[in-house]
Amino acid sequence: MAEGPLRFRTPHIEEIPTTHSRHQPGFAWVTVKKDAADPSKAAFEVAGKKRARTTGLGQTEAQREALSARQQREIERRIRDLNSDNARDVNIPIPKQTSGGSGGAKAGKTSNTKKILSSGKEFKHYLDDEEAELARTGKIDGLERDPDAAVAQPVQRATKMPIARRIQREQSSMSGSPGPATLAHGLTLPFEPGAGTGDEEHDFDAVPRLPTMEEMQALVDAPPLTYNAARSAPGPASAPPARVFCQTCGYWGRFKCLKCGERTCSVECEAVHVADRCLKFYA
Amino acid sequence: MPRQKQSKPPAAGLATKTLILDNGAHTIKAGYSLLNATSPPSLDNCHVIPNTIARSQRDKRTYVGSELDECQDFGELAFKRPVEKGFLVNWESEKAIWEHEFFNAGNTGLQCEAPEETNLILTEALSAPIALQRHCDEMVFEEFGFGNYWRAVAPSLSAYGASPFKGDAERPMGTPMECAIVVDVGYSHTTTTPLFQGKPLHSACRRLEIGGKTLTNQLKDLVSMRQFELRKEDWMANQIKEDVCFVSQNFEQDLERVWKGGSKDPRVVDHSIVVDYVLPDYESIKRGFARPHDPSFNARKRQLGIGGPREDLVVLANERFTVPELVFTPSDIGMQSEGLVGTILQSLEALPKGLWQAFLANVVVVGGTSRLPGFVERLEADLRTKLPEEYAVRVGLPEDPVKHAWTGGARLAQNEEAMKQLVVSKQEYMENGDVWVRRKFAGKLGR
Repeated sequence: MAEGPLRFRTPHIEEIPTTHSRHQPGFAWVTVKKDAADPSKAAFEVAGKKRARTTGLGQTEAQREALSARQQREIERRIRDLNSDNARDVNIPIPKQTSGGSGGAKAGKTSNTKKILSSGKEFKHYLDDEEAELARTGKIDGLERDPDAAVAQPVQRATKMPIARRIQREQSSMSGSPGPATLAHGLTLPFEPGAGTGDEEHDFDAVPRLPTMEEMQALVDAPPLTYNAARSAPGPASAPPARVFCQTCGYWGRFKCLKCGERTCSVECEAVHVADRCLKFYA
Repeated sequence: MPRQKQSKPPAAGLATKTLILDNGAHTIKAGYSLLNATSPPSLDNCHVIPNTIARSQRDKRTYVGSELDECQDFGELAFKRPVEKGFLVNWESEKAIWEHEFFNAGNTGLQCEAPEETNLILTEALSAPIALQRHCDEMVFEEFGFGNYWRAVAPSLSAYGASPFKGDAERPMGTPMECAIVVDVGYSHTTTTPLFQGKPLHSACRRLEIGGKTLTNQLKDLVSMRQFELRKEDWMANQIKEDVCFVSQNFEQDLERVWKGGSKDPRVVDHSIVVDYVLPDYESIKRGFARPHDPSFNARKRQLGIGGPREDLVVLANERFTVPELVFTPSDIGMQSEGLVGTILQSLEALPKGLWQAFLANVVVVGGTSRLPGFVERLEADLRTKLPEEYAVRVGLPEDPVKHAWTGGARLAQNEEAMKQLVVSKQEYMENGDVWVRRKFAGKLGR
């Protein structure tokens, strides 16, 4: 519901089609194309022609986009839940110290520590502060951080972007890695033979030579990456597609529920899914 | 702040006693080490303390840190953790835990009588926000008043630990491994840190946001959805994970082995993987346990409480290995990052090719999740297939992967020379201020 108006008010929010945007109106089970070799799935391939006819019927482009954005949000929410420390929001009061210590838990000895102890900030607040400072000054704590890391941030943060588009962007910039390449520090790549000094191995063409001491020093001196830049990057575009699993039993999710998009492996599991877990009554 | 005092040696001098405090998100690993001790530090000196304040709704009691050992009923226990995503954020609760463990401890052997005569080695996570580092330094000196202090990146301590590889020459205390990649599979996340002479090569450090708690939560979700409501039972889910989960060496094959088959083509499930896990009720069964799956009719009757006391059990089949699989394939839950092997390769890509061999021959795996059976074997096998044949790959698991960073710190704390170069004394902090201390710990001073 909110997608429509939101989209017009904030044009910089992208609504994105996903790679697998085949959403059917809702009558038939669809095979997942991945492994046609499996004889147990061969029978379902017959549905191909029929599926082609029904594809796209009943859904407009905007509906499809909204659905995929919703799925993407759902995935993000789930990952956030999985990485949360405590499933429930609980407020646990800190017990009073029985002896010693410096008074209650909140009392600090100096004004600095008083402030720290009474701070109710969470990690995301600190992270936002630091990002804001980096974006404003290009420095953190008076030390230059790599501008590449700052540039890499928006790409890293826009997890709403579907895989296919993200990869294109990153390839078009420079590498699959979000962090600054070591080149950014003014190092020379140790590939040209004979360029270095004091290494024994450069007479073999196949063996890359060891870096010089200055290069090592530069590597050691490199400032820490920002939190977002240190995150592991998505795989290359050629990577195999994500695996899907049966919601009911955990085997390969070979069929997709046409109402809600969840995967199941067999008719039995599908029955359980429809009876208990399918979140959409009307497709 | 006066800059001319930069090269001054610590005025108060090093204390003989060093508290090594590996402040993890799940557990604190803490213990003392003595300067110039002759024997290597023993793992028994390292205490593992839950880094949490837990509140039980059942007996209306709040457990701080190691008090959790006294807990009899872990049902619906709620946890408050001072360390969030690996970073020490909530000092209010951390102070309560530290005071309970180190300052009001009584006879636990961790009592810190005179902090001003103690050196502290405290660990932090990689790429911590500056504000958090400042808070940490201020709290250590101003609130707790330690005499000398070094804030270290946790994996860098691992480089000082004993080599996990058989046949490596024993290094003297306080000497780091020359080159190593430390893969820290922690509670909040997994990091890969290439270390050169004990110093992290920051531009090549990577973080994969899958950790022990992700696995626990995933297991909790799967079991809750498929069989038994566990959503409030964090503690129980964690125990199930530790007891039965393993890393599959051949995922596809194992998945086939435990599939029941379709309705028209039923298959025989391989019962060597399927287990029954009997859940604790905290009355007659204090701790859950696993036993081989019993598919008979009697077992099902017992589950319903017919002919004997009722017992709650969950049948775990593919959950046992699909959950730890997330570390290797995060895309299974839709996370777009590459898996652990890809993350290690990303770290390598940021390094000159000439160094690859040195690092690949020393991949050290630490952290609680790496204790899952088969973890190291799978990592080594997967890494092997992703790399050209000419590279030799060695993946090593230390004797105790949880305490390994602590051991490294304890070994380091026995070497006076190495310690002197690293620590900052309270007097230096007072004279030079917090910015100077951060620059010193970042290695920008005094070299």
